[in-house]
Amino acid sequence: MQQNDPYQTRVAVNASKQSSKYKSADTTATTDKNMQVSHRSKRPVSKMLLFGALSVGGYGLIFSHQALMTSTYTLGGWHAVLPVGTAFCFSFVHGAFASNLLSVIGLEPKKA
Amino acid sequence: MKKYVFILLTVLLLTPLVQNARAGGPPPKNVIKGIFTKISASERTATIKVDGQDSSKLLVLGEAMSPEDITLDKKVMVSLDTHAGPNVIKDVSVMFFDMTVTKIAALLLVGLIGGLLSGFIGSGGAFILTPAMMSMGAPGAVAVASNMCHKFPKAMVGSYKRWKYGQADIKLGLVIAITSIIGVQIGIKAQKSILDHWGNAGSNLYVSAIFVLVLLIVGLYVMRDAIKLSNGTTEATTSKLATRLQKLEIWPMMEFKVANVRISAWITIPVGLFTGMLAATIAVGGFIGVPGMIYIVGASALVSSATELVVAFIMGAWGSVQWGISGLIDVRMTLLILAGSLIGVQLGAIGTTYVKDYTIKMVMASVMLIVAVSRGAKVPIYLADLNLIPQLQTKLSIVLNAVSFWALIAALLVAGVIISVAMAKGMLQDRAEKRTQAATSQEIAG
Repeated sequence: MQQNDPYQTRVAVNASKQSSKYKSADTTATTDKNMQVSHRSKRPVSKMLLFGALSVGGYGLIFSHQALMTSTYTLGGWHAVLPVGTAFCFSFVHGAFASNLLSVIGLEPKKA
Repeated sequence: MKKYVFILLTVLLLTPLVQNARAGGPPPKNVIKGIFTKISASERTATIKVDGQDSSKLLVLGEAMSPEDITLDKKVMVSLDTHAGPNVIKDVSVMFFDMTVTKIAALLLVGLIGGLLSGFIGSGGAFILTPAMMSMGAPGAVAVASNMCHKFPKAMVGSYKRWKYGQADIKLGLVIAITSIIGVQIGIKAQKSILDHWGNAGSNLYVSAIFVLVLLIVGLYVMRDAIKLSNGTTEATTSKLATRLQKLEIWPMMEFKVANVRISAWITIPVGLFTGMLAATIAVGGFIGVPGMIYIVGASALVSSATELVVAFIMGAWGSVQWGISGLIDVRMTLLILAGSLIGVQLGAIGTTYVKDYTIKMVMASVMLIVAVSRGAKVPIYLADLNLIPQLQTKLSIVLNAVSFWALIAALLVAGVIISVAMAKGMLQDRAEKRTQAATSQEIAG
């Protein structure tokens, strides 16, 4: 499966060109196999887990206080800051989770 | 420099005009929010603790109301019947329905597919999300407000992604958004005067007629173009109209680098105005904004759909603040839809990098045409309400309502399937190409 990955093949082919850059990142790995591992580790699993946990925590917090949320968030006037601000914060936290999730699954934009 | 001063002055002059402009229409008038604390069935009165006030208010039940319609100790929206007298209740709706697992799952799923559509064609989602929320029991105004509040973060994430892919023209988006906000105001004025003259049924008919007409005409045009391009009979080029309009040298000329267009501001302004007017009337401004940018301004479908996300972000943020001030956003619904749509919108954005320009057109046209059918099914009901045709049988109106609702679901599913298939095909093709390239270079190296 790993041998069929186009990126890995390319890394191996370009190894001579990328050697200096690569050495700065990891001076011990020199074989093709190690390069493949290094490429795979770029998938942001830890980031996904971190933002995922933050997002789940946020949703848990809000849905465990539904009554408070619905009453204070709909008082109108300056309280508009609450729903708009909350949606804004979630767009960053949950948005970052979603972005990392797609990368981990392997759904990346086409590289030109 | 002169050009920017002109734009700044225009914006400043128009600000007073647009201060009440609300994307998605104005909030309802003669409505109070609060919690009923006491009801007297014999006197047909109910005491309500109004939001933001310490004192309670005594309301009288309208003729059509019964004491059972009043829910105690739950936040409600009360519509007042000003014609019957002061403080007469016309209608009461509970603002926040109880969340069940089924409702949560439905909101997540609709959010995900709605987001996918938005990320791909720049708009969409609102047409299904608002009716979906209403069918779950949310009052219309709360559904519109909650949808609006989910739209701007979703569009922000989507436009950021597509800007990173080099597709979104921020400047064009800003110009269209500012003019759209003015268009919203004009749209609301038109709707108000129709509401005054023809009442609620007339207004519904007007909205549906515009909806069906615009979506059918524009949808068919876009579909024809997409089919021609997919058959390979023509190549994706700037439309003849746009080419001609770009030749008009009327000051101030504007240059949009990402869209690769130089055009007079006097051409982009009407596109924005119509987008806003449609947003105020039928809540899906993008269905005119994107074709407007493609066929009138002359941008590609890829750039137009990405730029529409910038427009949606600005319009959505504007609308959310105003709906928030009215206190009608149900943040639970907003966040549940966001949970799905933030994934969907990024997936849709990734999808655009793998497909051809005509796929975006094809998806947009299909959605527009099916949504037109959905709204068209309701026209006979409104015509009967206005006594322009004989009253419909109850069975027939139930069928028409069902057709209308399921057509929306069908639109969402069709779009979801076309996008997924096109994206999967594009990804597989890309991988196959990369593999061949790698094999060739290995052979050369070997």
